[in-house]
Amino acid sequence: MELSSFVQNLMNGLAIGSVYAIFALGYTLVFSILGIINFAHGAVFTLGAYFTYTLVVGQFENNGLLKGINLFPDGSPFSGSAVMFGLATILGACAAGAIAVLIERLAFRPMRSRGADPLLALVSSLGVALVIVNLIQLLVGAEIYNFPSDAYGEVRPALSFQIGDKVVIIRTVQLIIFAVSLVMLAVLGYVIGRTKVGKALRAVAESPSTASLLGISVDRFILITFFLSGFLGGLAGTLVGTAFGVAGPYFGVVYGLKGLAVIVLGGLGSIPGAVAGGLVIGLAEAFVPAEYSAYKDAVAFALLFVILLVRPQGLLGRNLIQKV
Amino acid sequence: MSDFLQSYGFLIVTLIQAGLLGLSLYFPLMAGQLSLASPGFYALGGYVAAIMLTNPAFAGLRDTLGNGIFPLTWLAAGLLCALAGVIVGVPALRLRGIYLALATIAFVEILRVVSLNLAITGGAIGIFGIPQAFGFQDRWQYLLIFGPLLALVLAFTYMLQKSRVGRAFRAIREDELAADAMGVPPTQYKVLAFVIGAVIAGIVGSMSAPFLNTWNAKQGTFDASIAILAFVLIGGSRSMWGPVVGGALLTAVPELLRFLQDWRLVINGLVLVIASLYLPQGIVGALGKFRKSPPPARPPVAPAPDAKGGTV
Repeated sequence: MELSSFVQNLMNGLAIGSVYAIFALGYTLVFSILGIINFAHGAVFTLGAYFTYTLVVGQFENNGLLKGINLFPDGSPFSGSAVMFGLATILGACAAGAIAVLIERLAFRPMRSRGADPLLALVSSLGVALVIVNLIQLLVGAEIYNFPSDAYGEVRPALSFQIGDKVVIIRTVQLIIFAVSLVMLAVLGYVIGRTKVGKALRAVAESPSTASLLGISVDRFILITFFLSGFLGGLAGTLVGTAFGVAGPYFGVVYGLKGLAVIVLGGLGSIPGAVAGGLVIGLAEAFVPAEYSAYKDAVAFALLFVILLVRPQGLLGRNLIQKV
Repeated sequence: MSDFLQSYGFLIVTLIQAGLLGLSLYFPLMAGQLSLASPGFYALGGYVAAIMLTNPAFAGLRDTLGNGIFPLTWLAAGLLCALAGVIVGVPALRLRGIYLALATIAFVEILRVVSLNLAITGGAIGIFGIPQAFGFQDRWQYLLIFGPLLALVLAFTYMLQKSRVGRAFRAIREDELAADAMGVPPTQYKVLAFVIGAVIAGIVGSMSAPFLNTWNAKQGTFDASIAILAFVLIGGSRSMWGPVVGGALLTAVPELLRFLQDWRLVINGLVLVIASLYLPQGIVGALGKFRKSPPPARPPVAPAPDAKGGTV
């Protein structure tokens, strides 16, 4: 492979891989605390993109029930500058986090208090995903919405440089995605590793009953976990939305499944694992040769299958404890 | 009667089909294995039938056999799915719980992407114009093949549960290590349960391809995995009637809610949430409680985080 296309693929892979990573972090946080996989996470991802879109544009033109409603008759204050767009993104992610908290209260907590089979939590979260996806479709229609091209104002279109006689183009949005993801990872790493909240979260993940004996309010930290998870999922939704055009109601389904591959690859419940898994799958997809690009979507699952057979605990996961 | 069949025949066949797919997932679950591979085998069986019934390569065989080609497609689909079941099952069944579920999701997704891209499966368009089984004129006539298949599978399940093999499945489900210690080889029985499920799903697929007239990659997706899992868990995973009741009911709900039009899928999702919250033993399990003393609670697969007692 030529150096220029290698660099190009590397950049594309890092950008998409970092989104996979922050999306998958949301999955893995919930798994590490509750030991369940929240299948509604893909739907929260979709919601994040739609929330930000609502703030930036303020109205939906297609045939959903919300047609004709205009939040900002004088034009959205969140549009036209990179700072305001960033603010809208954060608000959108917070709203997605709030939805995740609601999901916990309505679909998981009643089950948890009765010690039900974790499999049922799976079905329950799938039911939630079904509700969210179809509500979106009802409210704003099944059509695909795109962020307006001037949503974040005047931004340099792309970074390009020459290697040999080929030009490598890195889209600004790719750089933004990569930078935002790095910042998010650093912040999350700090919160979980260094702060009191993080310490409590780790304690709950280790053993809820012991944590509760030590005076940690388990329910509250589960809510915090779900908020963080939803925030990360929603943020990823907006980032992918800006990069590749948002967002139909089924926007998150593929990401929901690939996110599973990411967290298993990295090791279920492992935070550095989710990052490593995201980057590995992003890069692996970017390096699929053009003539096999139709099989791109299978790469994540092929990797998932292989890793399960070779090293079920994942790349960075702890050894599985055999429960007797 | 024939008016009734004209209007509801399609729906009844679909309900039976759902029940059969539910049963295909019930077998691995009987041995304690959560597999979501059923739609993959269903899709595979359907492709086998669709290819044998439409591909020019099989024209000679079709002319020779006439209607005999249909039972042959069932046989071919069943055999191929058994083979695929062994190939996927032997390595995958080293995994437990959620890991096996994820591996089988990966299997279904890989199969879907591959079938989207092969020429023989018709790519993204799929295979269409599949001839009707035995020259059936009406869709309700498919009751004549799906009905006996359901009866056969139920009878088989009933006898299996009473047999040594069924007891071995249950022993593995309750405690794999103990079963192993008692001389029940877990791997062989787990693969057997997995393969039985695969064969059933494959045969259902091979009957469904003519029924639906067209077959494409949409037949075996993650959504289908989930739908089938929901059939079993909502119906009740502890009795062979659970998957049948759950499959029929969850297939009927969207139809019964048709008057709600666009809202029906939202309601369908709510039904899943509410049922999993309030019917932890499934519908059949809940009905069973009225008849006899409550069934022994099954210990959760992973210790549920519990603020009160703890699982130490």
